[in-house]
Amino acid sequence: MEARSVPIIGFEVSGHPVLSGKESQDGRPWMMEEGFRFNYRSTHHLTTNGFYEFLNWFDERAWYPLGRIVGGTVYPGLMVTAGLIHYVLNLLHITVHIRDVCVFLAPVFSGLTAISTFLLTRELWNQGAGLLAACFIAIVPGYISRSVAGSFDNEGIAIFALQFTYYLWVKSVKTGSVFWTIGCCLCYFYMVSAWGGYVFIINLIPLHVFVLLLMQRYSKRVYIAYSTFYIVGLVLSMQIPFVGFQPIRTSEHMAAAGVFALLQAYAFLQYLKDRLTRQEFQTLFFLGVSLAAGVVFLTVIYLTYTGYIAPWSGRFYSLWDTGYAKIHIPIIASVSEHQPTTWVSFFFDLHILVCTFPAGLWFCIKNINDERVFVALYAISAVYFAGVMVRLMLTLTPVVCMLSAVAFSSVFEHYMGDDTKREKPPLEDSSDEDDKRNSGNLYDKAGKVRKHVSEQEKAEEGLGPNIKSIVTMLMLMLLMMFAVHCTWVTSNAYSSPSVVLASYNHDGTRNILDDFREAYYWLRQNTDEHARVMSWWDYGYQIAGMANRTTLVDNNTWNNSHIALVGKAMSSNETAAYKIMRSLDVDYVLIIFGGVIGYSGDDINKFLWMVRIAEGEHPKDIRESDYFTPQGEFRVDKAGSPTLLNCLMYKMSYYRFGEMQLDFRTPPGFDRTRNAEIGNKDISFKHLEEAFTSEHWLVRIYKVKNLDNREPLDHKLRSVVPKQKYTSKKTAKRKRGHIKNKLSLRKGKKLQKK
Amino acid sequence: MALKAPVLAALLLLVAAVGSGVSADGLVNEEVKKTVDLSSHLAKMTAEIVLSNQGHTGVQSFILAVEADLAPHLAYIGASVKGDEEEDGMLELQQTSIQGQRGEFYRVQLPSTLSAGAQLMVKVEMTFSHVLKPFPTQITQAERQLVVFQGNHYLFSPYPTRSQTTRVRLATKTVETYTKLGNPTKTDEFIEYGPFRDVAPFSEDAMKLHFENNSPFLTISRITRIIEVSHWGNIAVEETVDLRHTGAALKGPFSRYDYQRQSDSGISSVKSFKTILPASAQDVYYRDEIGNISTSHLQVLDDSVEVEVRPRFPLFGGWKTHYIIGYNLPSYEYLYTLGDQYALKMRLVDHVYDDQVIDSMTVKIILPEGARNIHVDTPYKIDRMPNQLHYTYLDTFGRPVLIASKNNLVEQHIQDVVVHYNFNKILMLQEPLLVVGAFYILFFTVIIYVRLDFAITKDPAAEVRMKVASITEQVLTLVNKRLGLYRHMDEVVNRYKQSRDTGALNSGRKTLEADHRALTNEISSLQARLKAEGSDLADKVGEVQKLDGQVKELVCRSCQEAERLVAGKVKKEAYIESEKTLTSKRQELVSRIDSLLDAL
Repeated sequence: MEARSVPIIGFEVSGHPVLSGKESQDGRPWMMEEGFRFNYRSTHHLTTNGFYEFLNWFDERAWYPLGRIVGGTVYPGLMVTAGLIHYVLNLLHITVHIRDVCVFLAPVFSGLTAISTFLLTRELWNQGAGLLAACFIAIVPGYISRSVAGSFDNEGIAIFALQFTYYLWVKSVKTGSVFWTIGCCLCYFYMVSAWGGYVFIINLIPLHVFVLLLMQRYSKRVYIAYSTFYIVGLVLSMQIPFVGFQPIRTSEHMAAAGVFALLQAYAFLQYLKDRLTRQEFQTLFFLGVSLAAGVVFLTVIYLTYTGYIAPWSGRFYSLWDTGYAKIHIPIIASVSEHQPTTWVSFFFDLHILVCTFPAGLWFCIKNINDERVFVALYAISAVYFAGVMVRLMLTLTPVVCMLSAVAFSSVFEHYMGDDTKREKPPLEDSSDEDDKRNSGNLYDKAGKVRKHVSEQEKAEEGLGPNIKSIVTMLMLMLLMMFAVHCTWVTSNAYSSPSVVLASYNHDGTRNILDDFREAYYWLRQNTDEHARVMSWWDYGYQIAGMANRTTLVDNNTWNNSHIALVGKAMSSNETAAYKIMRSLDVDYVLIIFGGVIGYSGDDINKFLWMVRIAEGEHPKDIRESDYFTPQGEFRVDKAGSPTLLNCLMYKMSYYRFGEMQLDFRTPPGFDRTRNAEIGNKDISFKHLEEAFTSEHWLVRIYKVKNLDNREPLDHKLRSVVPKQKYTSKKTAKRKRGHIKNKLSLRKGKKLQKK
Repeated sequence: MALKAPVLAALLLLVAAVGSGVSADGLVNEEVKKTVDLSSHLAKMTAEIVLSNQGHTGVQSFILAVEADLAPHLAYIGASVKGDEEEDGMLELQQTSIQGQRGEFYRVQLPSTLSAGAQLMVKVEMTFSHVLKPFPTQITQAERQLVVFQGNHYLFSPYPTRSQTTRVRLATKTVETYTKLGNPTKTDEFIEYGPFRDVAPFSEDAMKLHFENNSPFLTISRITRIIEVSHWGNIAVEETVDLRHTGAALKGPFSRYDYQRQSDSGISSVKSFKTILPASAQDVYYRDEIGNISTSHLQVLDDSVEVEVRPRFPLFGGWKTHYIIGYNLPSYEYLYTLGDQYALKMRLVDHVYDDQVIDSMTVKIILPEGARNIHVDTPYKIDRMPNQLHYTYLDTFGRPVLIASKNNLVEQHIQDVVVHYNFNKILMLQEPLLVVGAFYILFFTVIIYVRLDFAITKDPAAEVRMKVASITEQVLTLVNKRLGLYRHMDEVVNRYKQSRDTGALNSGRKTLEADHRALTNEISSLQARLKAEGSDLADKVGEVQKLDGQVKELVCRSCQEAERLVAGKVKKEAYIESEKTLTSKRQELVSRIDSLLDAL
């Protein structure tokens, strides 16, 4: 019964920011994440124009002038899910706005994730562990980040699909029934439609099968499950436009095909084994295996070589070699989510679970069976990937919850007998503890794992009641700390949107810095509908969503050279930048400047990435070293490099900032973010004009002026020396004559050669 | 054409003569005090007219005239009688026309006949929007806003005027130029013209003022007001507002630095304004397409709720913004009922900011589902559009929506509209019943699905298995209970050893015996049933029974031992020794029972 309340807890915790948001007069702060913006826009497009129109959607408002084929380059699962819910509700005259559906989709799916985690853990261990796992996944920060109301991300629904696919897979391996396998395929199809992380499934399941074969655990059940899964899953996954023929043409999917072939061969050999004598079989076995392996290997090599199979993509290389991205793809390395995970973030996201889950893994390996092989592989691979990229922490979280639940459940089983009630220390009335208590009682009845009277008596002999109660207390303390940590993280780290900043005064009152929306809304209202806004790609989705204007680059970083062009414009001087901006038809330039309020995520701090990315594509024009001082420092004050002090980004950030005195203790033009007095206070523009600056100067928008009718020369006309004054020093005899109107060379000036 | 023109002119002249003949029938503007207030972005013209009837017959009505140039901008016109009794009665106006004269004319019905020779003081009020034209039309952030007003020095009237003064109130002292008819006097922001004597009917003389006016030139270019009535006690009001600064447009850059550091920078821009909502307004929200606008403040006063509406950015000339403001009202203040008849009395348009100008307004009133015989009383003429249907939560056939629109509204239009309709109170139950019904059907389906067997094939073996399983389940619980009895007995014995209370021990033993017998009998009967089902589990249960008998014996023995110990018949060491063997034996038996049970 309690299993049903866990999703509700999950929902409550996930919905918490919404509730607190409403209380704090700052309604709807949650819908401001970047991912939300794009997904919401797509969903809106889907609901207003229909599914087929959505699949054919060409977004001409992004990646100007290239545009973006949205229908073919997104995983449509999320939008279709939200659109479907909206459609059904409206059919029943429950007139919910699509925005509300989008906002509350993630908490609903976090509830479903809790249920599927419960089911999966129950298959692996027992019901008690399942319940604990569901409790953990409901509140663990690593997943809360994707399941808070307003996080309308692919990952939110993908984790549910992932867990449910695994559950159905385990079920089908256990039963060997085609029914469960088809269910697994359908769920896999949903996963493919929702998130690129489906590659994780299509590699993990073959790995599971492969390891089972190695462990001599082959059975007809495995054969049925995998054969069905591979074929049906392959066909289904190719139905998603964005995936298309990738499953048979890219290296990432080849392992699955290889294992499929191997399994067929293995099954065939098993069949022969029954028919042939031992001697015959052995010769045939060696011959067959070596031949088959050779053929498969050569085919893959040949196909890769001829280009039928695409080699590994860069993003996958970066999974194996953490240094790869930094050298070859700076755009991937520039995203904080793609950095290797630090220990702190492991602890922050998983807290106590990160310590207990190896124990759970140990329990699983000790009592190994088919499905525990699976979870062990899942755990090991997920740990590796989570260590490579912060973002992949998300795939680790569910398995950590499951295995920790196994560990906790085993410990409780051992130390909390029937006498739970008697020895239970009085605890604070937190809902989490309640669940624990209930789940503790639940093993006996629903789990049908009857406590043996004899075992208890034995245990009583071995462990005194003191030890039992101390261990139980300690465990409950740990769980309590975990619950406290989760609540804290949810309310602090994940409920404040990145768009609205808040600062607190000395007396505790809150100041809301709503500069982003101020500027975006200004763009939306007071610029031409087709105006093109240039900004760094981080703000692309926000501009498209909130300002509803055409952007050059956005968070879907599919075209590196275009981004590099924007980076080049930002890091060139004004004249060179103007040429680029004219060629890209830019009307407005938007930058983020945190120097007034000390906001550290601004464009000057990101500037080196722009330079690096620009340098990658235009190594002749942009050199990273030019932006450093000779000592190799990046400084904005007087000692900074002149290239930096005159580049467009610097000028736009600090335009008229030199006159501004923020404090009496600091000189005018003191940058609070970088704690330095700026080096170039005399900034003027020739081709740009300040169009808007938000209240705290966080967002600055410049208008790119049109060409003047005729550009005035910025220097005086060269005075032509009259010919008469020319007198040669040569004697008349040696005069060889001179060319009329010959350009005279002057020292210190270069002749322009073109 | 050439021929026709003089004919037309002649005709016009004739008509003019007839027209002046109308005025000749007696009415004369004895004394006129005209005031033009140009301190905001509206031109508010008031005139106090002393009408005298110099004709021979009584007059029922008189005519008000508006100049042709100003007429398209006329937002409001009203007239009242200013009597001695200090009570201004608003007079009824009706548009009419006078042949041969350009402009708009209104016939005003007097409350009583103005008899020959009598005098009457009338106060006329007119409001014009968009007549103050910014000049120059574009200014930079540092400049001040100058506007031009073009009007009439005289009162435009179909009647001759004996004496008239005109007083103009400007926004500031700074005036670039003004027409100097009759040597006007200027003190501070006032310019006074006149007095003019004996002005002919329909006389116009262009008055042109060019002066500084930095008041906010805010215009609501569009407002949609939705009033949703619920008979469950709530009226939800939502206004979608498109706002534009219609003053001189901003030229060149907007510098935040100047705007923050210099107080007179962007003096004509709009930072914020106040909207007054009804006193009972609750749950006020103020947002736009991208979320809540966090820069607003709400103040609850005794007689109203004041919202300080601050757009996300300051509005400079030519800039616009868009927002939604909404709130809830309790319906008992606005909804009146008598039996089946209901009347909704609400403001057709409400206050947005002082001196507001609304270019275009649409009002939608959503009545409850099932409202019939809808009839609307509007305070002024308004364009009705065909009713629509609106579907929201739990609606089946839709709620009627009344839609009306009107252009060019000002503050004087804030008046009540009354909507009468009939509503059958039984319909109130429709929606709860709908929910109840839906849940009923849901649960009923679940019940049917769970209780009835929809399988295509029958499986008798499965049924037997289920039956056996349920019996074994019962056996298991009973056996466990029985083992529990022994543990309980142990406790009793332990207690006995400490307290040496033989009575307690005996009673404990007695209850044990009784409970044990009852449980054993039950298990035996279950065993018989298992046998009847033809299950081989019955044998195992029999074995369990046998083992249990031994356990029971052991328990009794340990009990006796304890008795003997208490009685002092055995030594403590011996007792412990025997107790140990007993326990180990028991342990062994119990574990055997357990393994049997596990096999069940």
